Amino acid sequence: MKRFLLAVLLLPGLGAHAATLPDTSAAAVPPAPRKWWRPTHLLLQTGGGLGQVAAGAGYALAKNRLETDVLLGYVPRKYAGSTLSVASLKVMYSPYRLQVAPKVQVLPLTVGAYVSYAHGIINDGVRGQYPRDYYWFSRNTRVGPLLGGRVTYLAPPLAATGQPRRLSAYYELGTNDLYIASFFGNLKGGLGFGKILTLALGVKADF
Amino acid sequence: MRSPTTLRRWFRIVPVVALLGLAGCDMLEFSPSDHRVPEEFTRLTEKNLAKLQARPLAAGDTLRFVFTGDSQKFYDEAEELVKSVNQQPGISFLFVAGDISDFGLARELRWVDEKLRRLKVPYLTVVGNHDLVGNGREAYQHVYGPLNYSFVYGDTKFVLIDTNSREYNFNHQVPDINWLQTQLASLDGARRQVVMAHVPPDNSDFDPTLEIPFARALGTAPNVVLGLSGHNHAYRIGEYYDDGVTYVNSDAFSEHSYVVVTMWGDRQFRIKRVEF
Repeated sequence: MKRFLLAVLLLPGLGAHAATLPDTSAAAVPPAPRKWWRPTHLLLQTGGGLGQVAAGAGYALAKNRLETDVLLGYVPRKYAGSTLSVASLKVMYSPYRLQVAPKVQVLPLTVGAYVSYAHGIINDGVRGQYPRDYYWFSRNTRVGPLLGGRVTYLAPPLAATGQPRRLSAYYELGTNDLYIASFFGNLKGGLGFGKILTLALGVKADF
Repeated sequence: MRSPTTLRRWFRIVPVVALLGLAGCDMLEFSPSDHRVPEEFTRLTEKNLAKLQARPLAAGDTLRFVFTGDSQKFYDEAEELVKSVNQQPGISFLFVAGDISDFGLARELRWVDEKLRRLKVPYLTVVGNHDLVGNGREAYQHVYGPLNYSFVYGDTKFVLIDTNSREYNFNHQVPDINWLQTQLASLDGARRQVVMAHVPPDNSDFDPTLEIPFARALGTAPNVVLGLSGHNHAYRIGEYYDDGVTYVNSDAFSEHSYVVVTMWGDRQFRIKRVEF
């Protein structure tokens, strides 16, 4: 499953090299207008509390500095006690773009936030199970901040669409509302900040 | 071609990279409910019982242990508790009467264990309602072990039981009265018995249809001396069912207080509250 998704994401990148050969025809084709609903990128990631594997699509706005992604993640039962499907929404802002080589950009800083909903939680409460405000926290919905970075390879445009494409690998450090609450309840050093961090690694293809 | 010294220099960073890789794997969390933890944080009940049994108490010896509850999210307090308990002379182990975690997450159980493993004595737990929210039941079983269990140490048989009825939406199966009766039926060579649970039987989170059967199981079994519980974050002691069983509710980590229980003879005991 994971390999398949990875292959799907990487294929457009490989196609790019083939497309560069007939350079003149590529330049001759005018870029097809982009449908408003068409996502600007696909992504695949692991970790970050959003799934062992999570695949998604998203939109880049504000000259690619602002992105919003929707992901669907999967956690096998053997790791969580029940099979989880995780739906997530991420919003990220990347203010800086460093051109480190003709075709390579580095986005040193991405800040953002996510909200996720896990379907399949064993005991997330049913109607009438608890008195009002028995637990202040949700058992299936998490929110948290993200901080990350990215390396982007600028692939030549695909002949058929003329759209510029980018292939990126990214990392994100994150945490969630429950870990944050744990951290701020122990400011004498009982819980180190590093202990509440999670890591996500992913690839993203803009097309 | 690189010289051997350059190669050696490169190999020097291998452990650093491996360490970063390991830390990374640890951080690559699939979900907060993801309960993958290093092996050293699994089967803790079994491991801690083995540590306890490695230091046996001779028959007839006075037993002393520390009893507290609700470690949940109080990591600063856990450090102070460990310092204080490590100065208690002659104790055999520490009991945490449930709510090890606040959100039923494996990371929390691990954080608590990282504190309590610095105790000079082993510690044992019983599952609390906070340990059963979300996928906590699976996390607790993976990190600690069974939800109901019993053991004999010295002259005392301990029976630990899940009484968090509300987390099962009062399905009348929890606490498992049949299991409790079976366990309490035999002393297994001990002189007295002690039952520990998280939610005390007269609490609104305890299945009201099972309160009296639970109390009767304790009251009619051979020589049950104490019924220990947590949940209320407040110390309380009393013989609530007029059957010779003394119920003791512990303070919590948050209250900077625990009790030291000393037991001898057939039914003698002393409870001492300690502030830390």
